[in-house]
Amino acid sequence: MTIRFAATTLVCFLAACAGTRDTRVDPDAPDTITGTGLQSQDIRSMVTGMAAKLKADGILNPGRDGERASFFITELRNDSSDVIDRQLILRDLRTELFDAFGRQIRILDRSPEASDLVDAERRMKERGQVSGTNDRKVAGSDFVLKGVIASRDRQAGKLKSSYINVTFELTDLVSQELVWTGRYEMKTESEKSVINR
Amino acid sequence: MRRSWLPLVAILAAGCAVRQPEVPLHAFVAGDLAQVRQFAADQVASGPAENEALVRNVQAQCELLLGELEEARRNFEVAGRIMGSWATSGGEAAGAILGSESSKTYKGDPYEQAMNAYYIALCYLWRGEPDNARAACKRGILADAEVGDERFQADNALLFWMAGRFTQLMGLPDADAYFAEAATAHAFALQHGARGSPTNPVLAEPRHGNLVLVLECGMGPEKYADGAQQELARFRSRYHPAVGARASLDGQDLGVASLLLDVDYQASTLGGTAMEGIRKGKAVFKTASTVAGIVLLDQSTRSSGDTARTQAIAGGALLLAGLLTSSSADVRHWPTLPSTVHVLTAEVPPGEHLLEIDFLDARGRSLPQFRQRATIQVPPHGEAWHLARSLPPVSRPSRPEP
Repeated sequence: MTIRFAATTLVCFLAACAGTRDTRVDPDAPDTITGTGLQSQDIRSMVTGMAAKLKADGILNPGRDGERASFFITELRNDSSDVIDRQLILRDLRTELFDAFGRQIRILDRSPEASDLVDAERRMKERGQVSGTNDRKVAGSDFVLKGVIASRDRQAGKLKSSYINVTFELTDLVSQELVWTGRYEMKTESEKSVINR
Repeated sequence: MRRSWLPLVAILAAGCAVRQPEVPLHAFVAGDLAQVRQFAADQVASGPAENEALVRNVQAQCELLLGELEEARRNFEVAGRIMGSWATSGGEAAGAILGSESSKTYKGDPYEQAMNAYYIALCYLWRGEPDNARAACKRGILADAEVGDERFQADNALLFWMAGRFTQLMGLPDADAYFAEAATAHAFALQHGARGSPTNPVLAEPRHGNLVLVLECGMGPEKYADGAQQELARFRSRYHPAVGARASLDGQDLGVASLLLDVDYQASTLGGTAMEGIRKGKAVFKTASTVAGIVLLDQSTRSSGDTARTQAIAGGALLLAGLLTSSSADVRHWPTLPSTVHVLTAEVPPGEHLLEIDFLDARGRSLPQFRQRATIQVPPHGEAWHLARSLPPVSRPSRPEP
């Protein structure tokens, strides 16, 4: 009996002082750290889904004369109640679009940093400080892709639910026509533990 | 044998009790933010993991006041993620219920979660991301709604007003809804004992000004344990001479700032919590088992044979269970919060200006030891926001404009 008690005590002590883990996991796998807000799995599902939908729609396919459609990604406005790194999503989406379309489309970099670099390079070429000539114009865009993250949060007592809706829209920059839209949705429900109430 | 688990669990859980970190508040009040930041950073690195959110908040607050915006944002966000997670393991819940409540991960009270969101909002504003700043405000408003007493679930005028300002900065049309909520929250808070004035120029003209001064006064409330078994969590105010602020720009008086958030009031309107009921139950058990144990041990001295032995064993077990039961309230709290947050807005010409901030005592007299001067840049478009705390001046670089 005494040995059993001592063994149980030791097991409990070891359990209470259990070590931590540091494991490599698949970014597409559900987060073990739960909570509301977009998780890595959502971001991966969202960008691959959007790229696939855009490709399936065919709006960005090359024209009959083989000319490639060009577009740039502008903003992802966050209207939700969760702070988010928008650039993480937009960069991932851009990469996914490249993977999906390959050389069939032209994705333009309209970031201020890219504009500054282009301006500086063009100036140096004009002055003959570097090799090369400015024999092409800065590319214009046929479309612009933008998005909005919205959420609806409800909580009552120990329960909370959070619905997140991410919408992307592709607008024709000549006609201003909304030519494509796609969405990603997710919802989480949480129950607060009695120790935190 | 099965009953031997109870004291065993209590011993294990009590052994994991986590105390309030000894943040050097004297250094904080004296303006030695580098020392406080170092203390907090050391605690993050080698202190109890259960206190991570608490000490990261302290560290981030020092970094923010020192002008280290990105470091501050990162630490506030890590703390905010811990504080905002509702997930709790069964072991942690069992430990906090059967053993010491302070064995659980610190997630802060709703008013602390709201303050974390307020600081994250400021960080994102200065980062040029008003939408993320507004998202943080929304999260803070939701956190404020988690208080036990439903009457006080939406009384944080500051967060509503900031959400409105950020909506305005985003160029969206629904800012007025937030401003209306801010006015309602302010009136409600005043009716229920918050400090402040019914005449509030900031809320009366919520869109006014391209210069916004956010002025934090005093030291926030202290959480302490009360009751015979220390089972009641209570708040008391900390004394600090600064209770208000006024400012001038290039020598011209801008007036007195309006109080938009009474942190002491927010803490005291937390309401009853489920854990308070559990702690009260544990306190009753602790008292009853201790008394019963003493009575049985006393009787065992007057009995003989098997009866005396049984009474001694049962009495000893009850006494031990009583002594080992921890009914003490978890009094960990964010000790470096301000007592009140005031806002002053002004319409000023774009360009460089010399800003002077005077913190005021209860009689409205200037406190020269806290006087602060800063050179600020007001942009031709958008707004300039400036944060100051009633501490001795801290040298820091000027912030980017939103």
